Amino acid sequence: MSYREHLPETEGYPRAAIAINAVIAIAVTALILWWASEFAVFYENLFRIQPVAEGANAGVGSDWTSGNQIAWLDFLIAITHAADVLMGVFILFMMFLHWGAFRRLAARMRQPGDSGSSAVAADGGRVDDEASAGTDGDTAADGGERA
Amino acid sequence: MTQLDHGKFSKMTTTFHTLLALDVFVLFFSGYSLMFNDELWWMVGLMGGASGVSAVHRVAGGGLLALIVFWMLMMVTTDTGRGNFREILPSKGDFDAFIQDVQFLLGNVDERHPNARQFAGGTADEIPLLTYIGKGVVFIFAAELTLLSISGVLIWSKTGVISLLATKTAAAAFVTFHGLLGVIMLMGVIFHIFEHGFHPALYPVEVKAFIPRSMIPEEHDDSTEGTGIERLELAPSWNMASTVVGAMAVIGIVSVLLGSLFDEGYPVPRELAIGGGPTDVLLTVGINMGVFVLLLGLVLQMYGNLLRVRWQKQLEQEASEPTAAADGGRVESDD
Ligand code: HEM
Ligand code: HEM
Repeated sequence: MSYREHLPETEGYPRAAIAINAVIAIAVTALILWWASEFAVFYENLFRIQPVAEGANAGVGSDWTSGNQIAWLDFLIAITHAADVLMGVFILFMMFLHWGAFRRLAARMRQPGDSGSSAVAADGGRVDDEASAGTDGDTAADGGERA
Repeated sequence: MTQLDHGKFSKMTTTFHTLLALDVFVLFFSGYSLMFNDELWWMVGLMGGASGVSAVHRVAGGGLLALIVFWMLMMVTTDTGRGNFREILPSKGDFDAFIQDVQFLLGNVDERHPNARQFAGGTADEIPLLTYIGKGVVFIFAAELTLLSISGVLIWSKTGVISLLATKTAAAAFVTFHGLLGVIMLMGVIFHIFEHGFHPALYPVEVKAFIPRSMIPEEHDDSTEGTGIERLELAPSWNMASTVVGAMAVIGIVSVLLGSLFDEGYPVPRELAIGGGPTDVLLTVGINMGVFVLLLGLVLQMYGNLLRVRWQKQLEQEASEPTAAADGGRVESDD
């Protein structure tokens, strides 16, 4: 089904090589540009720069040193951290659960190249010839709208 | 059967989902390049430095407020809205679906519970409007977006919060609190992208959220048992793509979580810590992987909409050709 059939030039290269080289090329380019910009990580000019309250520059950030004395705000931040960790663990569990379920479902599908079918559905999906033979045109003009 | 499984979203919901996603992506990119500015320095640069980022975030913040208010109004003022509200309440079936998913993963059962099925196939009549994950997503995202909007409005004007909270540090701590709230949303959306982009039967994107149900034929083939997924052919790139993106999503989630614990925003929310947060190479790579998954989500989102446009064109074309059904298909009138 692939558009690649029309592009013989790209057919001879293994996919893995293309992918790995693209990643390396991007990484190298990024390194070069980083080097060219003198490793300038310019968060210094953010509003949230590190306060300088000690040493020679004492005083520049001295109004920060009073700190956050508000107990409820302190508590709010602490429970938000806790909520983030709890939800994070839960979301990770869901990630693995779905990842695993998807792999099981995938194993149940026909493997690529299993069939002679090369039909492409309008939405880019693959059509199974036998399955859709009789129903090809059932996209009625009204789309089968339901109220 | 194609990727075009049964539609569930109405036209309005698809448009809303797209706008919400676009807006939230912008909020993620601008908000977290503030919080993780040592890991995402390039993003800060792209958005025009510190002041640019804040400006972008505020514009998108305004957009989110508008979207949320709109949605609330729709839910209360329309019958469909009120009706759908009943559909999203959790039920026992949702809990069972979760347990069955674990069993499915362990190989103890052979099917996912109807409340877990993203791909309906021949079982469309059995499956509810939202999966159990979908319901969870609605609740968690709604709660998060509400809290983020409220805290966002409170920190809109720095002098405002400072006078409210007495010290500059306390005001900054409140900004940090706002950012920490969003971490759940961030991790959740990374998972959301994996879930809806990498289902093997629907890869590379589940179009349900993009093609409204009015445009999807509700007819299906009841001759087979179950969903009929075994008749679909797996895309050749699925294995590689789902493995790479799955790994990146996991690393991204872990990294933003660790980053939020270490960095805690700036400058020192609770106690004054001179010397800066740890900017470690691994954390930088990890957080950038998470951001990559978000960018991929943005692309898939665009792609989903592109598919909708193409599908719409095809429907229009078929409608204008009187011979549309002459190829053996049936044209059905609806009820
Ligand atoms: C998905 C929703 C949102 C997310 C994920 C998010 C995330 C963030 C993050 C991570 C920060 C930086 C915190 C830090 O530096 O530690 C931030 C700052 C901020 N957010 Fe949000 N936010 C969201 C929605 C909103 C909304 C709706 C508003 C306003 C109505 C808003 C207003 C602000 C403001 C004013 C700042 C401070 C910016 C500055 O001082 O330059 N945010 N947000
Ligand atoms: C920040 C961005 C996004 C937000 C806030 C968001 C929010 C939501 C919510 C609340 C739902 C309904 C609950 C559910 O069924 O899970 C939903 C459904 C859905 N989303 Fe997103 N979404 C976002 C991005 C995306 C992206 C990037 C994609 C595509 C890869 C996507 C694909 C879907 C699909 C296919 C559904 C329908 C699921 C169903 O019918 O059950 N979403 N989204």
